[in-house]
Amino acid sequence: MSGAANPVTPPDITITADPEKLAEFEQRISDGVLIEPGDWMPDSYRALMLRMAEHHANSEIVGALPEGEWITRAPSMLRKLALTAKVQDEVGHGQMLYRVSQELGKSRDDMLRDLVTGKTKYHNCFNYPCPTWADIAMIQWLIDGAAIMNQKTLADGAYGPYVRTMNRINMEEAFHFKSGEDMVLTLMSGTRGQKSMAQEAFDRWWPIALMFFGPADKPNAEDLPPMKWRMKTERNDSLRQRFVNRFAPAAIDLGLIINVTTKDEHGLVTSATPDEELGLNQSTGNWSYTQPDWDEFWRVIRGNGPCNTQRVALRRLSYEQGAWVRRAIGEGAVAVPPAA
Amino acid sequence: MTMQTMLANPLASIVLMHADDLLMLGHVQSDWTGLAPILEEDIAASSMAQDDLSHALVLYQYLAEEFDLDPDAIAFDRDPADYRCCNLTTVPDEFDWAVSMCKRWLLSTYTKLGLDRLALVDEGDLGDRCARLRDESAIHVAHLGAWMIRLGTGSTESNERMQAALNLLAEEAGMMFEPPDLGFESDEGFCCGRGEMFDEWATLVGATLSEAGLQASFTLPDQAARGGRRGEHAGHFSEQHAEMTEVRRAEPATAW
Repeated sequence: MSGAANPVTPPDITITADPEKLAEFEQRISDGVLIEPGDWMPDSYRALMLRMAEHHANSEIVGALPEGEWITRAPSMLRKLALTAKVQDEVGHGQMLYRVSQELGKSRDDMLRDLVTGKTKYHNCFNYPCPTWADIAMIQWLIDGAAIMNQKTLADGAYGPYVRTMNRINMEEAFHFKSGEDMVLTLMSGTRGQKSMAQEAFDRWWPIALMFFGPADKPNAEDLPPMKWRMKTERNDSLRQRFVNRFAPAAIDLGLIINVTTKDEHGLVTSATPDEELGLNQSTGNWSYTQPDWDEFWRVIRGNGPCNTQRVALRRLSYEQGAWVRRAIGEGAVAVPPAA
Repeated sequence: MTMQTMLANPLASIVLMHADDLLMLGHVQSDWTGLAPILEEDIAASSMAQDDLSHALVLYQYLAEEFDLDPDAIAFDRDPADYRCCNLTTVPDEFDWAVSMCKRWLLSTYTKLGLDRLALVDEGDLGDRCARLRDESAIHVAHLGAWMIRLGTGSTESNERMQAALNLLAEEAGMMFEPPDLGFESDEGFCCGRGEMFDEWATLVGATLSEAGLQASFTLPDQAARGGRRGEHAGHFSEQHAEMTEVRRAEPATAW
């Protein structure tokens, strides 16, 4: 599964760099020159870039978990192979992004330990359950589709290693999206039971996909470091609108109903009614839609989502169970501190 | 033709034996995707799991063409007793990388030798198919053998863990050489000789174990000893089979 790299709450930033060097650095960015690891950069840029790449790397390896659960149940040899390869790709994206992060000054073991002790985060969308095979289809279609939209704008950023990694990742994500689209199409062309399974999964994942891009940016986002330094290049709301414009008509064409839903504490839908806000504004070309439940978003990001505990516990188990292998080959794994 | 015709065919039972080993090996290993001790090895292990699944598919496709069946039906729709995988493939690894590693290495070494023999069979394009597969199989053996040595000699702790895993698996490993039913009662029938293949396997495995500072004793079981090759699977196989076919059985006879 893909991880967007939108750390939701940028830290307060105090820029203490030499003004002349800072001006030169910002000029290079506005000239479209890529910043490389050996180049001078403000400490706050390094810290923010590390935070973003590490968050993205964490998202990739946590994102492998919900889909990984379904490899052993994939219903044909080709689906089984495709899903294994897809989850492997996500692990590979994690590996590439940890390499980018390592170059910014943090060891891989520190990053993996911070993830399993709750010190660092991963993308919110991976804290939701996948109760059916159709959830896997929806993740690959909607969430990977959203990730491609986001990551294409991140590939237009300024930090060279991250930009190059995004370009590589996006090529693979395009395959994931096509695979998801094929899975959704197959389900929606199938039996009544398969269509119903697809609709129920769509109800679960549509609001998560809307939240994927993060909450609205501050009004002055363009003047703040993440956009000023081209770590991100497009506002969250703008990306969300492009996503709805692309996926709302596609879902309707497939016979899916876009519902407004409520969910219980397990992330399962308790009510679904058609979104009355939904419609194409002919003059702007934009689709209107009902906003997702942003209170839920904040609840989940603070650790109270349906699967937060389960996801971190599995990563922690993996970290602990594999420590002897890393010790044996001299990668210096140490005992895991207690969970935060 | 029917599934029963295929199951009653002597050569098909040998092909099926290797295909089922590869299916279950890939199936069990794919469950580690995202959870291996090192990211780089996670990616490598997943590639090998995909190779195993792909190799199984190539063999199922051969059988499907020969017996006019659907390869997915051969892979997923048989009764558990009609699978010919050995019990070693399905021993649960309990999330222990040492067990996973030893199991994959023992089996991959065996599979490579089996494919060497099937590559010589002059029956349709079976020989060509197996010749292609064994090249990738040889890479698995080399990769896993290198890890056996690395972990056997890495530290006292890793040596002990690998030795414990071998102790757990050694007895079951011999049963890889259990002949499937139907005309394989004699050693000669087992695609160039069961005893000869066991000796070759034991020599290869023994050389790596020696370099890794590990010990294991393997014996060729009596012909009469029955296990997975003749459908007598351990209890965990039926659980794995039920999980593997859960979605498919929810809406049978439809595309997924």
